[in-house]
Amino acid sequence: MRLSVVLPLCFLVNICFAAGQKKPPGNSAPQGAIENGQSLFLQNCAFCHGRDAAGGETGPDLTSSKLVAGDVAGSKIGVVVRNGRPQKGMPPFDFSDQQIAELSAFIHAEKTKAASQQGGRRGVDVADLQTGNADAGKQYFNGAGGCSSCHSPTGDLAGIANRYQGLKLEQRMLYPEGAAATATITLPSGEIVTGRLAYRDEFTIGLQDASGWYHSWPAAGVKYTISAPAEAHVDLLGKYTDGDIHNLMAYLQTLR
Amino acid sequence: MKLACFFIIALASSLPLLSQGLDPAALLNPPKDSWPGYHGDYSGRRHSALTQITPENVNELGLAWEFQTGQKAALKCSPLLVNGILYFTVPNNVWAVDARSGHEIWHYTYPANKGFHIGQRGVAMYKDWLYFTTPDAHLLCLNARDGSLRWNITIADSHKGYWTTMAPLVVRDHIIIGVSGDFDNLRGFLRSVDPETGKMQWTWYSTPPVGTPNATSGGMTWMTGTYDPDLNLIFWGTGNPTPVLNGKPRPGADLYTCSIVAINPDTGKLAWAFQPSPHDTHDWDAVETPVLVDADFSGKPRKLLMQTSRNGYFFVLDRTNGKNLLTIPYGPVNWAIGVNENGEPVPNAAKEPAQDGRLIAPDEGGLTNYRSPSFDPQTGLFIVDAHPSYGIYFAKQADGTFGWAGADYGIWGKGVLDAIDYKTGKICWTHELGPGGSGAGVLTTDSGLVFTGDALGNVLALATTDGKTLWHAGAGAPMESSPITYELDSRQYVVTGSGGVLFAWALPVNSGHATSK
Repeated sequence: MRLSVVLPLCFLVNICFAAGQKKPPGNSAPQGAIENGQSLFLQNCAFCHGRDAAGGETGPDLTSSKLVAGDVAGSKIGVVVRNGRPQKGMPPFDFSDQQIAELSAFIHAEKTKAASQQGGRRGVDVADLQTGNADAGKQYFNGAGGCSSCHSPTGDLAGIANRYQGLKLEQRMLYPEGAAATATITLPSGEIVTGRLAYRDEFTIGLQDASGWYHSWPAAGVKYTISAPAEAHVDLLGKYTDGDIHNLMAYLQTLR
Repeated sequence: MKLACFFIIALASSLPLLSQGLDPAALLNPPKDSWPGYHGDYSGRRHSALTQITPENVNELGLAWEFQTGQKAALKCSPLLVNGILYFTVPNNVWAVDARSGHEIWHYTYPANKGFHIGQRGVAMYKDWLYFTTPDAHLLCLNARDGSLRWNITIADSHKGYWTTMAPLVVRDHIIIGVSGDFDNLRGFLRSVDPETGKMQWTWYSTPPVGTPNATSGGMTWMTGTYDPDLNLIFWGTGNPTPVLNGKPRPGADLYTCSIVAINPDTGKLAWAFQPSPHDTHDWDAVETPVLVDADFSGKPRKLLMQTSRNGYFFVLDRTNGKNLLTIPYGPVNWAIGVNENGEPVPNAAKEPAQDGRLIAPDEGGLTNYRSPSFDPQTGLFIVDAHPSYGIYFAKQADGTFGWAGADYGIWGKGVLDAIDYKTGKICWTHELGPGGSGAGVLTTDSGLVFTGDALGNVLALATTDGKTLWHAGAGAPMESSPITYELDSRQYVVTGSGGVLFAWALPVNSGHATSK
C-alpha cells in the first residue's frame, strides 16, 4: 500500500523538478503572513530543512529548490506538505489553506534573502559533479560495476541525462528509490498470483494485481518470492570507490 | 541535627499514609512498581527484572489501554512511572496519566514559541516536582500533583540557535540538563541546577568559547546520561563539532565533541574523556546511551561502559578511567583508516565531505541513533536498533564555515536489530526490521524477552536468545521511543509509544499468570 501511494507522489515531484526554473514569484506577501509562516516553519519544518529553509539535518535546501521556484502562494509546496514524502522520511502535515499560504510566504522570503547572499549556500550544483572520466565510467559500467547486465545505454538509459541532471541523477544512479518489485505468491491451493509488491513485513505480504486491486495474505500462510532487480544497487554501495561514482556520473551524462 | 531529625519524623507522621513524590534515593534501586528516570535505573541498560511476561505466554499479550495525545507530534519520550502515575511528553506538552487505566489526570501546555520542536524525550522527577525542557531552551519545574508551574528558567538563548529536548538526570540534589543546537556555531555545555530554585550549581563546557582560533564549537549534550554512585561519576555523550561538515576551520580532534565524558555531579569537573569520533565531519553525535555494566572482561571483573555509537563502532571502556577495551564496527563503516592506540577510530581524510561528493557508511542518521539499546545480563548481549546505510556528503568553499557548511543526502538504509556479544563485538543474531530503518528503542527483561518495533509500525516481542519473533501488534506508526515496563497490582505492563498514541500491553487479568504477592 505504502508503495502504491508513494510512487505517484514521487512521480509528481519529479515532474515538478523537471519543469525547470521559472521566474521566482514576487514576494508580495504581507509581513504578518511571513511571520506566521515562520512560526509554523520553525515548529514543523526547521529541524530538517534548517531554520532559514536552506537545508538542515535531513531535508534539502528549499531556497534553491526548483519546486519552490515554481510555487505560487503554496500551489506546489502545499501538495508536498499535505502528502509528505514518506520514502524520504517527510511526514504529511494537515495545514489549512491559509497556513500553506503563510508557509509559502516565509519560504519565498528566505529564498529572496538567500539569493542576495554571497557564499554560505548549501547545495550541490551540476558543475560540482563533473570531476569524473566518461571513458573510465563506461568501462566500469560494462566491466567491474556489472551495470550492463541490467541496463543498456541505448535501451532503458537512452536519454537518461535529459531526464535527470546533477544530484538527482547521481542519487538515482546510486539507488533508484521506489523502483518496482514483483511478488509471486503461491497460495495453499496451489494458485499462483503475481503483481507489483505493495506491502511486506514479517507478518503480511501484499500486492497490487494487474487490474489495480490490492490483495494481502498472512506471510506464514503462503509461499512467495520477490523479484527486486534494483536491489543490486545496494550491493554496489559497499564496492564503489568515490572515483568509480564520479566516472559513472560522467558516463551517464553522455547519454543524452 | 538531632532536633532537625525529630522535626522531620514528626512532620512525616502527620502526612497521609499514601506516599507521593519521589525520594531521589529511590533512583539508586528503583522498586518494580516504578520507572523513575529516563533509563529506568541509573545504568542505562534498559533491562527489567520483571518475569511475569515470558517467552511462553507472551503470545497472549494484549492491550490494557491506550492513550491518545491528540497531537501531531510523535511520542519520542521515555515515560516516567512513579506511584501509579505515568508522566510523558511531546514538545510543549506534559501529561500525567493513571498507569492502571490510562485516563488523564492533568495536561500541561507550554505557550507557543519559536524554538525547534523536533522532539521531547521526557521529564525528570525530584520529590514532588517534575523538570521539563522546552523548544526555546527553558527548564520548567512543575508540580507533579496538578501540573502547575513552579518556576521557569532560561537555560540558553534560543535566538542564537539553542533548543532543548532532553529529559534531565537527577542525582541527589542536582538536576542535570544538556542542550541542543548544531545549526549554528555554538558552545555545548552541561549544567546542574538546584531542584528547589533552579539556581545554577555548575556548568561544564564541551568546547572552547566561540571565536577561539582554530578551535571547534559544538559538542551538544542532548541525551540523558548515566550515573555510577560508587564512582560518583555521571557519564555523558557529546554531539558533533561545528561547522558540521567542514572540518578545515577546526583542525585536530575537536575535543570534547563526539566524546563520552565522565564528570563529577557535585563539582562539574571532568574525570576522563574518550572520543568515539575524533575530528568528525559527518554529524555523528556520540550521545547514544553510555550503558554501565559490571561484568567480566578478559577474565577479570570490570566496571564497564559500552556504547553503540552513531559512527558505526561498538566501544567497551573501563569506566573507572576511560581506558578502551574494545573497538569494533557493528555494521558497514567506510570512513576510518584504522583504530589508534587509544581505541579511537582514525578518520580517513579522503572521506571528508568534498565538492564532488563522498559515499559514506553509515549515513548521517548513523548506524544507530538516540533511542535506547538494551543490555541483557543473562546472555551478555548488547541489543541495538541498527541502521546499515549509505549517504553522500558534499562540502565546498562556498558553503562557508558556519553551521551545516555543506550538504548530505541519504542514499539507502534498512533497519536491523543486532545482538552483540559484549566481550568480542561479534553479532550473535540479526533480526530484519524493514526498509529505511526502524529507530525504535529496545527493552529486555529477565524472562528472556526483547521488546522493540519495526520500520512498518509493528511492536515486537522477540526471544533474547535467538531474536525470533514471539508476538507482535500493528501500532499504526513506527515506534520513535524506547519501551518501559513496570508491575502494578501484581500485573506487568509494557508501555510503548507509536505516533501520538501511548500503548500499555499486559497479559489478560484472569490468565493465571499474575505473580502471587
